[in-house]
Amino acid sequence: MDLPPLSLDQLFAVLSTAPTPADLYKILSDYEEQACLISPKEVELLSAFYTIFFFSHLLTDQIEEARALTKRMPQPILQTDSVQNCLLLLRAVWQSKHASIYKILRELPWPERAQSVVQSYENHFQQKTLKEVSNSYEAIRPAAAATYLGLDPTLAQQGDQEIIQRFTACGWSWDPETQLLHPKPVVSAPPKDNGLQRELSRVMALISH
Amino acid sequence: MMSDILTRLSAVPSRPHGATETTDETYDRQLRDLVTYLKQPGLVPSTTDPNEYLQVLSPSTHSLSFLYLLRFHIQQAQKRTKRDIPDVLQPGGILWKWAVRFLRSFDPIQIRYSIHEWRQLVEVVASAALTTSKSFLALKVTRDALEQLGLCGIFTSTHLLLVRLALLSSSYTYALPITNQLLYHFPTDADHVHHGYLSCSEHAPTTTLVTNASGISSKLTHRDHLQYFLYSAMIYMALKKWDEACHCLNAVITSPTSNAVSKIMVEAYKKWILVNLLGYGKVISCSIVVSLHDVGAWLIDLNAQIPPTSKMIAPHVMRVYQSVARPYISVAEAFEKGELQKMITEIDLGQTMWQADKNTGLVSQLFEAYDKFVIVKLGKTFSALTMADVLQRTSSTAQSPLQIEEFVASLVMSGALRANLSHTPHENGTTMLRLSLGSRSDTCRQEHIRAELIRARTALNAIAQGVTQTDQTLELSRENLQFLAKSQKWSGNSDKISSSGEAGGGGDIDEDIMGDGQ
Repeated sequence: MDLPPLSLDQLFAVLSTAPTPADLYKILSDYEEQACLISPKEVELLSAFYTIFFFSHLLTDQIEEARALTKRMPQPILQTDSVQNCLLLLRAVWQSKHASIYKILRELPWPERAQSVVQSYENHFQQKTLKEVSNSYEAIRPAAAATYLGLDPTLAQQGDQEIIQRFTACGWSWDPETQLLHPKPVVSAPPKDNGLQRELSRVMALISH
Repeated sequence: MMSDILTRLSAVPSRPHGATETTDETYDRQLRDLVTYLKQPGLVPSTTDPNEYLQVLSPSTHSLSFLYLLRFHIQQAQKRTKRDIPDVLQPGGILWKWAVRFLRSFDPIQIRYSIHEWRQLVEVVASAALTTSKSFLALKVTRDALEQLGLCGIFTSTHLLLVRLALLSSSYTYALPITNQLLYHFPTDADHVHHGYLSCSEHAPTTTLVTNASGISSKLTHRDHLQYFLYSAMIYMALKKWDEACHCLNAVITSPTSNAVSKIMVEAYKKWILVNLLGYGKVISCSIVVSLHDVGAWLIDLNAQIPPTSKMIAPHVMRVYQSVARPYISVAEAFEKGELQKMITEIDLGQTMWQADKNTGLVSQLFEAYDKFVIVKLGKTFSALTMADVLQRTSSTAQSPLQIEEFVASLVMSGALRANLSHTPHENGTTMLRLSLGSRSDTCRQEHIRAELIRARTALNAIAQGVTQTDQTLELSRENLQFLAKSQKWSGNSDKISSSGEAGGGGDIDEDIMGDGQ
């Protein structure tokens, strides 16, 4: 089915209506062909497209492919502010620099209409990190936990009740004596292991051929 | 005039899946007649506007007619402009749009009758995209066209084209639906084709239809096969999918060769060493072991039963590898022995070689991988360590306990290192790294066991499916054995059978006989 022509309005319509990040990624993947055919002079449209497409990669945890996307963007678009911000964000995500990630997301100037996807990624990253910290730490100082989740580490270290409550609301326990938080591991279903399926299919195909 | 031609062009629409109104024999004859008609010179006047006919025909319903008309217009445009890629064929041009639409929606059954023309169209589209430095556009179309055709494990020159386009356009994920497919056939020689199937039969195995004579692939050489797997490995490397990269590289380096070792194999061997270090921290011997190694302890026993890669490589080939890849082997030895300084020295000494081999990116990742695997190895000796201890025993990138903690935390949080971190009560206290799995909380342990059980169940399901398929291929299914038993009885009572008419009633029997020919 032919897609409606790519325009700023269409792009933001897709952004606001895509039910899940995977859908957003899929639709924008299809639009990348149209983006390739648009003159690089259309900086505003292309910059918005590649910014949102970049975030759709992050929202679906495709960091390596997000990096590849930055390699194939048209050269003039790489110089725009929002794509430059994307490059900074990519480096911070690549290096797992949590504090930098929140700083880039919150403090750098993102285009007004891209704010929703920036906010979505912040939420996604925060939730993902919360789960990872919950499963990795048995005991953690509030300042460290706050840094991971983009909260104020100074206030957390001072035992700020509001921050502590944010953690205890997630099932963590707070030991006032040791001043440590004890995360509660997050139990979730393991992802479907397509790799295993593929490997075994290879073995079975070799046997039968 | 035009309406007459259109009537003829649209006379053989594609058959819906499972349709029985037209028999295979009739449909086959209709399609062959149509091809003969389409090959007539001067079928359409050369002055015709491409849209005139293409707009009327559906690429999915009248695929053969559409393909020939499109080719005709492309050839006319080339003749008119005296250029291989006229403007109308460049990305965005009118013929480009028609070609893309066709390649995404054609009927694969109809195209079996003109597969050579189909490949030429894919190649001209790729060429048009490459000429305008828009290889990305050709990548997606080529992938979609290959998926639409459904070649089922047959390697063709279009596969090689696809991986080249993926690397040229830095678009790796888009190629995965094809590179993830298992390839185990080359197009067969026409002499070996099983003649029991009609090309339009839905049940005909693709291997019996896709022959060298059909033109599905340009002439393939040993080199094409090696290149495909090398390029596929490079795609996986870009995505840090080390298992898959290793599998592809294994296919290249263990490829049989009578005397000379090709440059592609040497390049693959160099990358194979680096990929092993990055993925597993050591040079592992066999792709199958590597891939299955992590999926569950129950599979580890396979390790001893599968011959190591070195045994799958002829000694003279191994000697060549070892002589030309000496710097890589030195780095790998230092890496595996945990000799950081030596590794750094070897990496510095080999800078020119890494650059010449275009392996600088992989080599630069070795430092982080070194730290990661040193920490993983610590788990074999220690059950718990402070960050200062970890820093003392690792390397390279981190300079302070805080930096190493960030690094270790990222490993634990990403799941690369199975361990727990624990802060001590004081503000400037230490951080403990607990490497023993026994230190995991009950919930984590239960979760781990549950995950392993789910993986084991998936593995068993995959094996069971494979066994069923293999039984069918080898004709060991219960139904077939029952049939054989019955046949033996029948052969003793042939008169009865012929009089009862059962012998000829066999759609099932026909299928089994067909199966023999596979």
